[in-house]
Amino acid sequence: MDLFEITINLIKIAVIFLLMVQMVPLLVWVERRGSAFIQNRFGPNRIGPLGLVQNLADLVKFLCKEDFLGHKGRKGFFYAAPVLSLIPAALAFGAIPLSTPIKVEAFHWLGQSWGPYIFHFQSFVMGIGIVFVLGVSSLAVYSLLLAGWSSGSKFSLYGALRASAQAISYELALSLSIVGVILLFNTFSFSEMVTAQTGPLSFHFFGEVVTISFLPNWGIFYQPLGAILLFVALFAEANRLPFDLPEAEAELVAGYHTEYSGVKIIMFYMGEYGHMLVASALMVTFYFGGYTFWPFLTPEKINLFLSSLSPTWNSVLTAFILHGVFMFKLLFFLWIFIWVRWTLPRFRYDQLMDLGWKTLLPWALVNTVITGICVFLFA
Amino acid sequence: MEILFIFFSALVLYGGLVTVFHRDLVVSALHLAGSMLALAGLFFILGAHFIAGVQVVVYAGAVMVLFVMVVMLFDLKKEDSVLFSKGLWPKIASLFFLIGLIAGILPLSLHLFQPLAAQVIEPTSTKELSRLLFTKYVLAFEVLGVLLLLIAVGVAVLCRSQKNVTTS
Repeated sequence: MDLFEITINLIKIAVIFLLMVQMVPLLVWVERRGSAFIQNRFGPNRIGPLGLVQNLADLVKFLCKEDFLGHKGRKGFFYAAPVLSLIPAALAFGAIPLSTPIKVEAFHWLGQSWGPYIFHFQSFVMGIGIVFVLGVSSLAVYSLLLAGWSSGSKFSLYGALRASAQAISYELALSLSIVGVILLFNTFSFSEMVTAQTGPLSFHFFGEVVTISFLPNWGIFYQPLGAILLFVALFAEANRLPFDLPEAEAELVAGYHTEYSGVKIIMFYMGEYGHMLVASALMVTFYFGGYTFWPFLTPEKINLFLSSLSPTWNSVLTAFILHGVFMFKLLFFLWIFIWVRWTLPRFRYDQLMDLGWKTLLPWALVNTVITGICVFLFA
Repeated sequence: MEILFIFFSALVLYGGLVTVFHRDLVVSALHLAGSMLALAGLFFILGAHFIAGVQVVVYAGAVMVLFVMVVMLFDLKKEDSVLFSKGLWPKIASLFFLIGLIAGILPLSLHLFQPLAAQVIEPTSTKELSRLLFTKYVLAFEVLGVLLLLIAVGVAVLCRSQKNVTTS
C-alpha cells in the first residue's frame, strides 16, 4: 500500500457513502411524484422543474426546526439513535460490489513509478460478504429501540417494540432464504456470485449439461421461491409498507420517531432509504446477475469493444459502464419498493406475525432442503 | 494486529464491567451488546471471519435485541432495588458464589498464560469449520441442539397460563 492507493481507497469510501446519501433526496422525490402518479394527483410540481427542488426547500425547513426533547426523554440515547440508524446501512452498502474491479497498470507520475493496482468497486472487500451484510443490518434494530425508548413517550415505545419484534421475526426467514443461493453458487462472496451468473443458463441434470442459450444464468431461474421470500423479508426489514407497523401513523402517531424533528428525522429517513438500497442491491446481486447483463454487457465483451484504449482506461470505462448496469437494476427494484408502498394496505399485527412465522419460515426451510437435495444430486 | 487486539480486548472488558456495575439496566444491556460486538472483532482478527459474522448476527443482532427489548418493556426500577439491595444474606451468598467461581476457574486457567508456540494464523475456511462440526464434534453439536429445544419447551411450559392446566 503506497500513498496513491491509500488516497484512492479513502476517496472511494467517501464517494460510495455519498452515493448512498445522495440517493435519498432523489428517492424522496420519486416517492412523492410516484405516489402522486399512482393516486392520480400532481404531487410537488411548483418548486423547480418537475418539483425537483422541493426537497431543498424541505431541507431548509428541517434545518430551522426546533430541537425538542420531552422532559422524560434520555438525552444521550435520544441523540445517538438517529446516528446509529445510518451506520448499519452504510456499512452494508459498502460491502456490496457495485462493478468489476479497476485494474491500473504501472505508470510514471511526478518522477516516480507507481506499481500496478487493483481497486475494487466497493468500500471494502469481505471474504464473508453475505454474513457480514446480514450481521451488520441486524444491528439496525438498536437504533429503533433506542429511539423509541429514549423519547420517553408511550407511542414511541410501542413503535420501537413492534419494530424489534418484527425485525427479529423476519430476520430468520431472511437468512434462511439466502441459504439456497449460497448452496447453489457455493460461495459467500458477492463477486464470485456475480461471476457465476455471467453466461447462458446451464446446469447439470443427471450427468448431462443442459444449456438454455437465450436465458442468462441468473439465480432467479434456480431460486424463484427463495427470491420471493427474500424480497418479502427485505420489505419487512426495511420497515416499508405493507410492513410499516413500527410507524403506523393511524395508530401510533409516527411510531418510534414521534418525538423527533429537524435533522434527526432526516437521518432516520436516510437510514430507511439506505436499507431500501441495500435490499435492492442484495436482490440484484443474488438473483439478477449483479452488475452484468449477459449476453450484451459482460466484462469480456466490453473489454473487447474498448480494446483500442490503453488497458487502464479500458478497465476504468468497463467498470463504469457495468456500474451503470448495476444502478439501472438497482433503480428498478427501488421503484418496485415505492410501487408496492402505494399499492398495498398495511397488515394487521397478527397477520404480520403469521406471515413471518407460519408462512415465510416454513417455505424458506422447504426451499433450503430442496436446494440442498438438488445440489447434492446434480452438482 | 497487536494494537487491534488490545483495543478489542479493552472494549470487551470495559463492556463487561459496565454491564455488571451500572445501575441502569438498559445501559447494562447495551454495554453487553457492545461487548459482544468487540468479541466479534477479536474473532475477526484471529482469522475466524465466519464465526465473527455469526457472533454479530446471533448474539448482537438477535439475543441482545431481545434482552434490550424486555428491559425496556418492563420498567424494572422498583423491582431491582427490592431484589438486590435488601438484607445482608444476598450479599454474603453472592460473595461465596464469587469465591467459589474464582477457586474453580483459577487452577484451570493458570497454565493458559504460558506462551504458545508461534502459529501462523490463517483464515479458517467455512468449509473446514462445517466439516469439523459434522464429523469430529457432531455429538456436541447435536447435544447443543437438544439443549436449545429443551429450553424452548421449558419456556413454553412455564409460560402457559395456570388456568388451562388440567389437574388430574
